Order: sequence, then structure tokens, then C-alpha cells
Amino acid sequence: MKWSKLGKKFDPREYALPNNCGEFAQSPQALVISDRVRVYFSTREKDSVGKYISRIAFVDFDKIMQNIIGISNHTVIELGKLGCFDEHGIFPINVVRDRNRVLAYTTGWNRKVSVSADASIGLAISHDDGLTFQKQGKGPILSASLNEPFLIGDAYVALHGGLYHMWYIYGTKWKKFVESDPPDRIYKIAHATSEDGLNWHRDGRQIIADRLNADECQALPTVFHRDGKYHMYFCYRQAHGFRKQSNNAYRIGYAYSNDLINWERDDSKAGIDVSEDGWDSEMQCYPHTFQLDGKVYMLYNGNEFGRFGFGLAVLQE
Amino acid sequence: MFKWEKVGKIFDPRDQKNESWMQEFAQSPSVLIYERHVRVYFCSRPSPTLDGQYLSFLSYIDLDRENLFKIVNICKEPILKLGAYGTFDEFGTNPISVIRNQDEVRVYYAGWTRCESVPFNGAIGLAISHDNGDSFTRLGEGPVLSYSPDEPFLLGSPRIRKYGGKWYLWYVSGKEWLQTDGKPEPVYKIRMASSGDGINWVKFGKDLIESKLGEHECQACPDVIFHDGKYHMFFSYRYSHNYKGKEGGYRIGYASSVDMINWSRLDEMAGMSVSEHGWDSEMVSYPHVFMLDAQTYMLYQGNEMGRSGIGLAKLDSPKNWIAK
Repeated sequence: MKWSKLGKKFDPREYALPNNCGEFAQSPQALVISDRVRVYFSTREKDSVGKYISRIAFVDFDKIMQNIIGISNHTVIELGKLGCFDEHGIFPINVVRDRNRVLAYTTGWNRKVSVSADASIGLAISHDDGLTFQKQGKGPILSASLNEPFLIGDAYVALHGGLYHMWYIYGTKWKKFVESDPPDRIYKIAHATSEDGLNWHRDGRQIIADRLNADECQALPTVFHRDGKYHMYFCYRQAHGFRKQSNNAYRIGYAYSNDLINWERDDSKAGIDVSEDGWDSEMQCYPHTFQLDGKVYMLYNGNEFGRFGFGLAVLQE
Repeated sequence: MFKWEKVGKIFDPRDQKNESWMQEFAQSPSVLIYERHVRVYFCSRPSPTLDGQYLSFLSYIDLDRENLFKIVNICKEPILKLGAYGTFDEFGTNPISVIRNQDEVRVYYAGWTRCESVPFNGAIGLAISHDNGDSFTRLGEGPVLSYSPDEPFLLGSPRIRKYGGKWYLWYVSGKEWLQTDGKPEPVYKIRMASSGDGINWVKFGKDLIESKLGEHECQACPDVIFHDGKYHMFFSYRYSHNYKGKEGGYRIGYASSVDMINWSRLDEMAGMSVSEHGWDSEMVSYPHVFMLDAQTYMLYQGNEMGRSGIGLAKLDSPKNWIAK
């Protein structure tokens, strides 16, 4: 695989975003509409105690992914009420066209005391081409289970052979690397299937081998089919010291599969890496692939987890 | 109507003469019957930690089967550890329900975690004993019953039963958190799930018991016993506000069903209310009804949500509840 970088495409500081959001445009994910490509992302506001709350917004591109032709000026999806799994933010959102509706798989965040937060996956549905979404209940569709005890998130859903497939992540442990620091989270990529997109059967195992070490964090899987094979991109990093030290920070990983079950990881074939300098020189994270007019695109974030926006790459033929 | 004879308090952790890890609370009694004794599992607490908050652990006492007022053994240390960082049961395992399953003993419990915007959350876990109920190990780090679109938080109060080879779990699910002047207060209602193995559950997905104290009534501890062709449920219920004293505190309700799905609530049948004075004069809750040696008994907790221990009552009538 080989990707051509098309550069940074969106900087949230250049636009007025709803809900007092300014910085961050994280985990960009695309919905292709007849006359545009709608790219959802998570942006942030600061709440009354100075903590961040992630909210969903979108920006519309023309169909050659060059010009911005619109931006959301409304609340795309409401956060949850007091005590709900998505009370303190939604990050990210994965949108899937499903007949005449658009399904949104949200990762909702709720703050905790001994660890910073927990996450679960919720479902919301749009009947207006992704302009607004209605939540399916107050609770999540996928949350902690016997062997996936916390931090269920980062859903990527696609239909293959009439079956809904979900790739997502689950937490395996919170670990203290330095006694005086709060614990760091460790999470891995897993897979589930569904007949209706609502009720899911989990495989119950980590599907992508670790490369760095057993504490490697793996996030945001995205899958597409091309040339008889399934290709997965994701991001991975060290569990500790990943914010400031570029060596430990997110990179984009790659795996392929013939059957959607068994995945062979080979990051050396990813065909994309951090730049020498510029907006994606220290980290690359939250890849999202989509197909448009015969091309495969990858949206992704760069330095500082997308604080200053997202960029785009296109797969070389 | 059921007629219970209160026979008094059987255990109060504060009355122990010897040094014990249990300082206060004996909540959510659940029995396991052995040849010579009756083990009463419950949830107890050491003194609060430095931040002033409590942890709650699984514990037990053994009662002489011939004389239930004679305690023959007291649990010396918690028999189920709390969960690791960030898990659903990091801060407590309470309430609980215990059942035998062939060579093992299972405890279903509500795990406690602490949150920022609301004080806590809960989900239901499973731990298993292979030493006849002396110690338990959790089956996994996560819960067996967790949140879903219409059960968004606060799954708790599990009561486990097996009928006709199938597993049933009665439990409660949170409906909403109410804003108050102080801490937010939850509203929760009784629900049910069924399972072939006691591990993978199918939720029934409806509130089972109609509310009597209005939309914000809290219902807990749905203790079900099958007798004479019917399922009988004793449970506790209270107001969502001002429930810490006599006026709004827990009372014991009753409902019956022939199919486990449609329940008729008839609290006046329960026959179990607060006493004139004493340890159960302000509230009675967390009933657990069981049959033993030609008698039917109820264990329950009294004032201050069980801070002051567990009491026992004996069924006087109807007579057809007394084994022939």
C-alpha cells in the first residue's frame, strides 16, 4: 500500500463551531452524500470546572475533497443526561449509510473517580442524511462485559455479505507506570457481528497482535475491501509517555485479512508514516478510510491528537 | 395475607466482642443451607477509608441449623476481593445473592464504581466458589449484566433463582438521576433476565412491578420464592427523597405471578412492617424468604439501611407454607 498525502484539510480554529467549541477536530469520519462529503469530527468545549467535553460537529467538502462548502452550526447529537454513559462527551462517531437512514455509532464518555473515565458504544439514527441524529435509548448498545471490563469504544461498522460487522476497542487494564501519576489505560481491537446493527455478538478476543509490547494501546480500526482482500488501518502507541514524546506517540498500523476473522499485522506495509516536519510530524492517529469515485481516501489526525485539525491522504493505484 | 412473627435481630457487626474487620452494616442477607448449619451471606463494611467513604465486602455467619440464634462461625476476612482499577466492582460488592450449582456455589452481586457527576454506578457480576462457599473468585473482570439502551445505569439488587433447569435473575435498573440540593438521587425499578447457563443473559426489558409511590418510587431486592403453583416476590420500596428516616424509608412490598412475567402487586399481603420501636422501627428492607426444616423464614435488615444488622422472622400463616 502507498498513500499520497494531500495535506491538512481542516483547522477548527478557522471556523465558528456550535456549543462553544474551538480547538480539536478529532477522528474525522466521512459520509458520502449525493452532492458532498460530510466529515464528522469531535471538537471540544471546556465545562464549568475547566475539563473538556467532546461534541460532534461536521464539515462538508465537495466531491473532489478540495473545497469546504458547509459546516454544522447546530447540535448534531445531544450529550447524555445526568449519569448516562455519554454525559461527558462523544468521541468519536462512526456513520454508516443503511438503506434510507444513517446509523451513528458513538463512543460516549463518563467521568469516574479512581480512573479518569469510562466509555461505551451507543447508537443514534438519522433520517435527514446525517444532519441530526436521534439516540436509541439512554443507554449504550455495547458496554463492559465479562472479559471486556471497561473502555468500550471506537466502533467502525460496515456491512459485508448482509451481516453487520463492528470493529471496536475494549480496555484490558488500568496500569500505574509511575506511582505519583494517575493510572494509564490499555486497550485492544476486537470484532463483533450483528444481524440488525443493534444486537451484537462479540468474538471475545483481541484480533490484532501486539507489536510494541503487551501494554500496546490499539485504537480506531477502519476496514475496507480492495483487490480481494480486507485491509485494516488503526493507530497504536505506548501506554505511557505518549503525549509528549513522539517516539511513544500514535502511529498508523496496518493488517490484512482474507476472511474478516484472521488478521495478519504488518505495519511495514501501511504505506503512510509521520512527516519530516509539519502538522503530522510527531504523531498520526485516528485513521478513517472511505471510498469515493473509485478512489480510497484516508482521513487522519496529526500532532496533539488533532488539536489543530485533520488531514487527508489518497491511496496510490 | 402473610403473618410473620418477628423473632429478633440475629447479627449486628457492632456487637462483636472480638476484633473483626466488620465494623458496621450487615446488608442483603442470602442463605445457603448446609447439613448442620445455615450460612447467611451478607455485605459488611470496615470503618470508612480516609476520604470518609465506605467499601462493602461479601461476608457470612453460620447459624446452628437447630437453633438459628446460635452463631457457630463468623467470617474472618472478606471472601471476595474487590475489582482492580477502573473495574465495575472496584469500590464494593453489594447487594448479593447466593445459589448452589452442582459442585460450585455462585454469588451474583452488584459491583460499585464511583463517578464524578453522580456518586456511583453499578453493574452485576458473578463470582464462583469451589470450596463449598468459603471463598469466591470472580469469573471475569467485567460484569455479566451491564447497561443497555433502556437500562442505562445502576444495575443492582440481583436475586438469582433456577426453575426448571433455567436461570432467572431479578434485579433493578436505574431509570434516571434526579437533581437535588445535595447529591443526585437515583430512581430504579425491578426487572428480570433469563439464561441457559447463568452467564449469558437475555433481558426481559420491562419494569415488572407497578409503582405505588409515584413515578419516582425506588424498588429493590426482588426476592422470589415459588410455592403452591405461584411465584411470590417480596421486595423493598421507598421514596426517592427523604428516605433515610422513618417517613420515606424502605418498606417491604409483595407481588405474585403465575408466569414470572405478569405480577400483581399487593403490598398489604406482605405482612411485614416496621416495629413500634427498636432496631427495625424506621425501616425494613432487603427481605430474603427461605424454607428450612418445615418452616418458612424471612431475613431482613432494619434501620439505617442495615447499619444495625440482620433480623429474622418466622411465618405463622398461611399454614400451607409450612411443610407437611
